[in-house]
Amino acid sequence: MLTRRLMILSLLPVTSTGAFAGPTPSPKDAYLYIIWPGDGERVKSPFWCRFGLRNMGVTHAGDATANMGHHHLFIDVDEPLDPNQPIPSDKKHVHFGAGQTEARLELPPGPHTLQLVLGDANHIPFDPPVVSRKIRIIVT
Amino acid sequence: MPEETTRRLAAIMMGDIAGYSRLMGADERGTHARVQLLLRELIDPTIAEHRGRVLRTRGDGFLAMFDSPVEAVRCAIVIQQSMVGRNLELPSTQWIRFRIGVNLGDVIVEPDDIYGEGVNVAARLEQLAEPGNIYISGGVYEQIRYKLVCGYQSLGDRKVKNILDPVPIYRVLPDPAAVAKAARSRKVRLALLGVGTLVAVGIGGGGWYFWERAWERHTEAIAAGTQPAVQSAPPLAATLPVTATPQSAPASTAPDQSAPSTAAAPAAQMQAAVIPPRVQINQPEPKPTVAEPEMIPIAGGTFRMGSTEDPSEEPAHNVTVAPFLIAKYPITNRQWRECVNAKACSYVPNGGDDAPVSNVSWDDAKQFVAWLSRASKHAYRLASEAEWEYAARGGTETRYWWGNAMKPGLADCKGCGDPVQPEKVGTRTANPYGLYDISGGLTEWVEDCWYKDYRGAPADGSSRSGVDCRERVLRGGSWRNDASYVRTSSRDSYDASVRYPTHGVRVARSP
Repeated sequence: MLTRRLMILSLLPVTSTGAFAGPTPSPKDAYLYIIWPGDGERVKSPFWCRFGLRNMGVTHAGDATANMGHHHLFIDVDEPLDPNQPIPSDKKHVHFGAGQTEARLELPPGPHTLQLVLGDANHIPFDPPVVSRKIRIIVT
Repeated sequence: MPEETTRRLAAIMMGDIAGYSRLMGADERGTHARVQLLLRELIDPTIAEHRGRVLRTRGDGFLAMFDSPVEAVRCAIVIQQSMVGRNLELPSTQWIRFRIGVNLGDVIVEPDDIYGEGVNVAARLEQLAEPGNIYISGGVYEQIRYKLVCGYQSLGDRKVKNILDPVPIYRVLPDPAAVAKAARSRKVRLALLGVGTLVAVGIGGGGWYFWERAWERHTEAIAAGTQPAVQSAPPLAATLPVTATPQSAPASTAPDQSAPSTAAAPAAQMQAAVIPPRVQINQPEPKPTVAEPEMIPIAGGTFRMGSTEDPSEEPAHNVTVAPFLIAKYPITNRQWRECVNAKACSYVPNGGDDAPVSNVSWDDAKQFVAWLSRASKHAYRLASEAEWEYAARGGTETRYWWGNAMKPGLADCKGCGDPVQPEKVGTRTANPYGLYDISGGLTEWVEDCWYKDYRGAPADGSSRSGVDCRERVLRGGSWRNDASYVRTSSRDSYDASVRYPTHGVRVARSP
């Protein structure tokens, strides 16, 4: 089954930057997961990817209400997550700052990985990070 | 019409069960019993609790009327939220999922039923709604947008059968404010959820979850029927530094409040509406003079736009742009703060005066150019994507404006030297047209609506518009992007209403 939260925190340095007001805490039981597609699934591009989140809420970026965040989808990302920086924004880090909970993805054929990371009002990962399991899919 | 009928304005809520016939086909008796139980246990009492009146319940749905659109939408949220909880324990084939539409309109009221266009529109909204969702009309949205702190996603205007004007439609997104509050709220229907904590459950259609108690920011009564428009917006001064000098010269400058540029203005307004801005701007322009950005005149011409390096840049195509002016530097914090001081820009930047303004959304950028145009009497705007690329290329056809290979120090990006958050504009070499910081540093908003490639793109240098355009185009790459993003043809996109730290703005105008 899916792990509750990836324990990547232990791999990462402790927050020390003064640039932000400090990390935004996440609730203990926050659970982020990819509803669809399933791990190992073969999918035809384009396809819908659906995001699931329990025990926290989805909001738009910029909203600093406690226990709320917005989705970021990492596509084929191997670099470790920097917990102190805003989640990058590029073709491999797709942002859903309007509070979207699903996305239409168009990926080239072949194997890919997908992973969700929840960001706070300023696109910075929560503490501890709320991250889904990284799934592998094959686009046909 | 018989005399006992009356016409009145009301919020009309229509709900029905998605896939009802499928459910009935699978288990007629069981489904019927479950729906009746739902109507009795959930729908009827929830509507009553929100001071609504149930008018009809059918096998698969209900029609209700409310005096207040806020109460109607709250009621709809409670119903949807409760359904999520109820469905939790069941296999997805047995889920009962409502589609709900809420409209504000004139109806003919009879003792036991209501009729009229207002009801038809509600029915249409309900049919359009995805299972588990709430769709509301523009009329409802205008009434509740500052009262119910939900996300509202604009779905554009839709034609409705037998109704002349298209109806603007919004989807109600999960309430952003309620999680923490709802946990303490008596009204949260934990019992209905059957669990001890708030559970946000993704369901196939879109990860819906609801909390009943939406946060009421404003207590003013809802004047049903009046047009609220932007002027009735929330009090805003609180979040702005009130340092401006409100010189009273509104007469000279008041008339042109609208953004000056192009056909995209309506789309811009629509975008701005999607997420209510924290601050609403309606000040007449006070200042007669403003320090205008340094502008570089660009002669028109024809160039090859796009490349074969990324699908989004294909097909490469010839574009002819008319002469225009583009700013020599990105807009700085100093320049932006003038707009803030004039109470015309809602975004208040951090950082040094000479640094390029960052963390601006496209909507913010549009506020800025609208203000700059009013203040300067010059029609400033964002560049079109074609103009931007034409200016960035500076007459070159190579990957970068200096050639095909990255050269350290020419652009502020990852793997291009030492990437740093820009603290001062104009510290690197200008491109052949004299533009600074055009590649790397901050990614710059342009006017265009985002399309995934250039199929169907205009060839006359104009910007590409779009109905219900959620994402806009960004160009130039940032200090946090790698070198491929600072190529002059590279394109990126982002939600127009959302701020991100590496996004900035460069202005343009026609001669």
